[in-house]
Amino acid sequence: MSSLTKIPSGVQYFFDDEVRRRRYVEETALGVFKGWSFDEIILPMFDYQDLFSRGMGVDKADRTYRFVDRDGSLLALRPELTSLVARTVATRFRRKPRPVRLCYSGEVFRYDEPTQRAAREFHQIGLEHIGEPGIIADLEVVLIAAEVLTTLGLSGFRIALSHVNFFHGIADHLGFAAAERSMLRELIDRRNILNLDQYLSLRAPQIDPEQRNRFCQLIRLAGKAESLDLARQIFANPQSLGAIDHLTRLHKAIGELELAESFTIDLGEAADLDYYTGLTFRIYVPDLGSAIGGGGRYDNLIGNFGDPEPAVGFSLSLDGLAAALALQLPFHPQQAVESAEIVEQNELLSQCFRRARDLRKLKRKVKIGAQQQA
Amino acid sequence: MTIALSKGRMQEQSLELFARAGIRVSLDETNSRKLLISSDDGDYNFVFVKPGDVPTYVEYGTADAGICGRDVLLESGADVHEPLDLQLGRCRIAVAGRREVLGEDYNLLATVRVATKYPKIATSYFHEKGVPIEVIPLSGSVELAALIGLSDRIVDLVESGRTLRENGLEVIDVITESTARLIVNRASFHLKMAQVSRMIEALTRVLS
Repeated sequence: MSSLTKIPSGVQYFFDDEVRRRRYVEETALGVFKGWSFDEIILPMFDYQDLFSRGMGVDKADRTYRFVDRDGSLLALRPELTSLVARTVATRFRRKPRPVRLCYSGEVFRYDEPTQRAAREFHQIGLEHIGEPGIIADLEVVLIAAEVLTTLGLSGFRIALSHVNFFHGIADHLGFAAAERSMLRELIDRRNILNLDQYLSLRAPQIDPEQRNRFCQLIRLAGKAESLDLARQIFANPQSLGAIDHLTRLHKAIGELELAESFTIDLGEAADLDYYTGLTFRIYVPDLGSAIGGGGRYDNLIGNFGDPEPAVGFSLSLDGLAAALALQLPFHPQQAVESAEIVEQNELLSQCFRRARDLRKLKRKVKIGAQQQA
Repeated sequence: MTIALSKGRMQEQSLELFARAGIRVSLDETNSRKLLISSDDGDYNFVFVKPGDVPTYVEYGTADAGICGRDVLLESGADVHEPLDLQLGRCRIAVAGRREVLGEDYNLLATVRVATKYPKIATSYFHEKGVPIEVIPLSGSVELAALIGLSDRIVDLVESGRTLRENGLEVIDVITESTARLIVNRASFHLKMAQVSRMIEALTRVLS
């Protein structure tokens, strides 16, 4: 088939309103990040495949688009930006004072086999806060995420908070090995309560059915502060309780900042358990069927590139934000096109352009008029 | 809340289940040929789609929730929550074949030809056993394929097993049981938390 009539699966072309909307989203998000003292970093479009394998794990890095360099080494189009930031911070930024605050905006390329969705090219906007452990940095990045959505003018969004140690504590408490943990994760992630209940009664017969039942209830529904109280009473163990305390403190602060409406607690969130080491969160916007962003704490990543140090960050999908904006605010004033002053052409070639240049000096938008038909 | 239901056999059973949970639809609406109907209290919209399309509507969030068989869900690979087993439409997804070729001496290392409506389920089943598979996707009368030699095996839904027996086929292995599941979109789960909880709780009361 001719390359004129066929388009590779998942690539995108943007124009008109769509471009203005995307630029508005990008500038707004970067503006918010800069307002919190994050410096923008511009990263290479491709790097060694090995770098991404170190960063995101071999399985995920398998979804890159790969090609071979002139010297035979394996390169990959960037499937995400965090690994590139992590490497930079661990090497070039080694002597800079901590924490390091960096933000980015750019396309990433991934071949996502399991989903039905066609996209292969995604635009991510995000930030990384590196070198500081603890709740203050966690709260900072979560609040920045909320501010981006609010500043864009989006309403009704929800940020679902979770913590990986809630899961790890329970899996340890039940004495689960790797295969069982992965099954438990899968059942929790899909909120498959029936099979979760059956699986637990089979693999952990020692636990009290009452506890098991409560656990299933907890996983079935996301909630607010009350789900944290419920969680305290289940499979009590130091690791899970630590996670619950952390979330309780965060949620309390969020409430005091009058933002509780936009946040939920979801202890059934169990994706990316290997990557994250603490807080995790996902961001949902009305009328879009999947999360438009998310993040969390990943204290083990930077160590893959140099000295270990704590880090927390998130990324937002520009595609998702633009789609949400188009649905919620189709006639957003920030995307309006400024009208241009028409400069008519005439016999003397330089005359019309002199007029145009004078207007441009006044920062006016000009448009050279169409040629008059004789 | 928009709920996607499978057209046909499951449609009545699903609506009846919702009615028992207090979510009623008037007979006028049910008997109409409309593809989108509302519950009497106006809180729920029901859309009727082909069974295989239910996971798609829910994954994309066009419907917040849906009811579909676990077979359909597995085959779709849709990334959704599946919080409830509704105990309806119980059946098995099984591998079947002709009696003559059931023997243990069947060369499992050779590629097995499998006719099925469930290419994904069939492929992952045989791959887990280390058997290469050539899938022949069919959309109906799958039994015939094994009967007249289009394939060595079929992977299909089995309810009573009568159709198989009458055609000289036998169940070789049951891959999984299937019942109707309530599935919920991942974003709706958070954005419509109160409504989703209310619906799940109402359905849970009916089921237990």
